[in-house]
Amino acid sequence: MKHPGAFRLSEESAAALVFAAVLLLPVAISFNPYYLSIFISALILGAVSIAWNLLAGVCGQVSFGHAGFFGIGAYVSAILVMKAGWNPYPAMAVAGLAGVAGGLLIGVPAFRLRGPYFALAILGFAEVMKLLALNLTELTEGSQGIFNVPPLPAFQAGGVVVDFYISRTSNYYFAAALMLIVYLAAYLLRRSNTGLAMFAVHGDEETAAGIGVPVLRTKIAALSVSAFSTALMGAFYTHYVHFLSPDTAFDGSWSVMPIVGSLFGGMGTLIGPGVGSLVITGLDEFVFKRFFETGHKLFFGLLLAVVIVWAPLGLLGKKVRKIPHGENE
Amino acid sequence: MISTNTIVQSLLSGVLEGGNYALYCLGLAFVFGIMRIINMAHGEFVVLGGYVAYWLLVMWGVNPLLSLPLAAAIAGGTALVVYRVFLQRIRTTAELNTLILTFGIGIFLANLFLQFWSADLRSIDVDWAQRPLSLGGIYISLGEIAAFVLSLLCVLGLHAFLLKTKTGKAIRVTAIDRDAAALSGIDVERVDLLAFCIGGLLAGLAGPLLGMLSHLNPGIGIGVTIKAFILTVLAGIGSIPGLIAAGMILGVGEAMTVTFINSSYRELFGFGLFLVILLIRPSGLFGRRV
Repeated sequence: MKHPGAFRLSEESAAALVFAAVLLLPVAISFNPYYLSIFISALILGAVSIAWNLLAGVCGQVSFGHAGFFGIGAYVSAILVMKAGWNPYPAMAVAGLAGVAGGLLIGVPAFRLRGPYFALAILGFAEVMKLLALNLTELTEGSQGIFNVPPLPAFQAGGVVVDFYISRTSNYYFAAALMLIVYLAAYLLRRSNTGLAMFAVHGDEETAAGIGVPVLRTKIAALSVSAFSTALMGAFYTHYVHFLSPDTAFDGSWSVMPIVGSLFGGMGTLIGPGVGSLVITGLDEFVFKRFFETGHKLFFGLLLAVVIVWAPLGLLGKKVRKIPHGENE
Repeated sequence: MISTNTIVQSLLSGVLEGGNYALYCLGLAFVFGIMRIINMAHGEFVVLGGYVAYWLLVMWGVNPLLSLPLAAAIAGGTALVVYRVFLQRIRTTAELNTLILTFGIGIFLANLFLQFWSADLRSIDVDWAQRPLSLGGIYISLGEIAAFVLSLLCVLGLHAFLLKTKTGKAIRVTAIDRDAAALSGIDVERVDLLAFCIGGLLAGLAGPLLGMLSHLNPGIGIGVTIKAFILTVLAGIGSIPGLIAAGMILGVGEAMTVTFINSSYRELFGFGLFLVILLIRPSGLFGRRV
């Protein structure tokens, strides 16, 4: 499709622009802590959306249960730190691996079948994980939740002490760095042979299998990276808000909002979901909540339906070129 | 020590509950069997039907069994609007699209209920439904029996409709081979519309019974959808009568989990069963091999 004179960015320059904007944003809002806290949530959501889209947009496997991974990450990291005395940084990494384990539990049985099996299995998985968090009270304190989750330990970088207990700014930049890492992982994976295989599986599973693509292994690879990143963000979240409960860590929003962000931003790109998440968080906070205080999420349901029918390419779909696959283009 | 009486009691309530499960999931199983579309808003259609009966009872004291036609009509009408406005435009595109679309509709409806009717638990309380019948020390309520009978009637009615009527045959042919059906003069677009609306209608019928035997709140729809899908897979896609057996297996399994383990782990049984079915027999108990 040619748009004469239309301005189109490459994926790389779009991503560079987005991360430059993220870098400068705190200056633009003069480090206002209230706005910073909103944008920290937006960045966490952005990273989860990029991870969700790696699985759905690139590999074609839609998940309705990323809240399961997010919650696993939050609980595993908090429990390792508080009950086993771990340092939060390695605990976050192990939390990511726990997310991968959860992904394998669902992916191995459900990915062998084509069709909606995975989408629904993972929805059930998220519910079951929440149920376990509610009932394994010795480990999780049940419905009352875990209070006083320690913040990430401060560290020194170039003579500056980066402290996470009080400073919103350092939490903001740490969240931005995590989003960048998740983005780079998705980007490199997409450029690799496995990424090419994911794209083939998305197109037509049977044909892909016919030309020798290991379909199951490719889907599992996409799911593992996606689950790891999501659980990692869940772990960061718990150290940032210092509290978690089954209702917050496994909140259905962590399943729904990445889908809305990805669709809104454009599932065909890698950076689109990140942008979409920043935009919808802003919309939610400053517009939707003013209209309907309790049912504000109805806008997101409607947005999903409208975007998928009338604008399946999303916000950035037409503005960003697809990534070329190695030598194919 | 758990007495024999307790076991028989929980077996029986499991069987009755399982019969109702067949109706809770009938709409989803039907639409999936015919159109290969999972209606992720199925649970919200059920809840909508339940709220219709609830408000009729609260405002005018209408017997929930008499509200059934209106509950079905409103949920079916919602399905019609969803199909006409959204679904028919992307009916034949990637499966992922219809999943996300109906998921969005479900979120929209759930939050609409939440906005207008709050998150309160509401149950459709009628005296006669709670009246217990005693059978030698084992108790079942009249409501449970009424719901069970109604559920069986709906499943068998749908089965007969598909087998005996001309429209039912057209629907079955379209499900088997869409192109051949179109060639032989069946208006397949109309069949799709009809199937989706019947799915909504059946979901609407289930709502008042759910509200009567359990309770309603805006957030329970998604759980109904999950359970409905588990049963659809367990029965085997396209097997409508198989839903009764599948429902009873799930119902009894859950009742046993409650009796022998812990009531909070009730939902785990269905999920575990689902994973096992996916691993060892993905075509379900009564389905053709996939």
